[in-house]
Amino acid sequence: MRDNGDAAANDAAQWIRAIAARADRAAFAALFQFYAPRIKAVLMRAGATAEAAEDLAQETLLAVWRKARLYDPRRAGASAWIFTIARNLRIDRLRQDQRAKLAAIYDTMEPETPERPDDIFDGSERDGRVRAALAELPEEQVRVVQLSFVEGRAHGDIAKLLNLPLGTVKSRLRLAMNRLRNLLGEPT
Amino acid sequence: MTIMHHPSDTTLAAFAAGTLDEARALVVASHLSGCPQCRGAVRTFESVGGALLDAAAPAGMSAGALDRAMAKLDRSEAVPPPRLDLAAAEALPGPLSHYAMGPWRWLGRGVEWRAVDVPSDDAVRVFMLKAKPGTKLPKHRHTGTEWTCVFQGAFRHQLGRYGAGDFDEADESVEHDPVVEEGETCICLVALQGSIELRGFFGRLLQPLVRI
Repeated sequence: MRDNGDAAANDAAQWIRAIAARADRAAFAALFQFYAPRIKAVLMRAGATAEAAEDLAQETLLAVWRKARLYDPRRAGASAWIFTIARNLRIDRLRQDQRAKLAAIYDTMEPETPERPDDIFDGSERDGRVRAALAELPEEQVRVVQLSFVEGRAHGDIAKLLNLPLGTVKSRLRLAMNRLRNLLGEPT
Repeated sequence: MTIMHHPSDTTLAAFAAGTLDEARALVVASHLSGCPQCRGAVRTFESVGGALLDAAAPAGMSAGALDRAMAKLDRSEAVPPPRLDLAAAEALPGPLSHYAMGPWRWLGRGVEWRAVDVPSDDAVRVFMLKAKPGTKLPKHRHTGTEWTCVFQGAFRHQLGRYGAGDFDEADESVEHDPVVEEGETCICLVALQGSIELRGFFGRLLQPLVRI
């Protein structure tokens, strides 16, 4: 799992830069072929129909094309950035209420003023450490992290799905989070 | 400003995963806009999302999916960087500048509140609270969670002192009677789930007023 992901993540940053620099369509095609099927798969596991999931996957990649120049590798690795774009679109899609602005919240929580690095790592360094840390987590913890993070399921939902008490789901998540942050050497 | 109280990791992770309701996400984001440390944590959790996305087994795309996407590229305009209307934001944290707010209303002795128009599916209401220095809020408990981000001034309760930038994540197990510190007026943003149960004589007097 790691080899495949690592290689793609390294290339992905270059593809995004190529799109930003020269509207590189081949780079777009490469990104699309790697990420669209994965975004679709994750959304379908989270309960979306194949059609809705594919729509959102396509929208995500088109947003990557439009936002490529905003990508800042100091802030996020390529896959983390694409994850946030898919997340925000999913939130947008799920909203029933026209007043909802949740996706915009994510875009404006950064202070505008001096873009000094917020943290000790740049995007790819952080990604590398996170991948190494994930590989060391027990399978049962990775599973809840996956359901919660990638599939965006509520804790209660995960408890039902795995047939576990809610407390167990929460404690596994907490353990995984602590572990990840400790391995990253971040203060918790 | 030194931030002493942060959202829990689980909360930051839920924010990164996009599973918090909008009301609570807004209060968390208000804290994040002033807290580099928690922004770093959110990025870590987003990186986890990215790593797991990379590792996901791909689904089959329908025939011609890539071509259809490519055909749309020329009609896709580049997105300009997000900009904040700073005048409208009135020095409030960025995330809050997206929302309409009601007028300040008197709530009780030394306390005013204004509603923040945030849709929520989980019966969570968002409002700003403004309390004069030295105000004692009545002892109360909640029927759900009460998340607070302090913008200005400070209050104290059993769990410590909460100043500008601090995040107070109280749940139904907490019963407290906050006191606003002397000095500056305390302004905070609150996401309240369920209702507040006031205790004591003063509390019972106020109860009809807290239908915020």
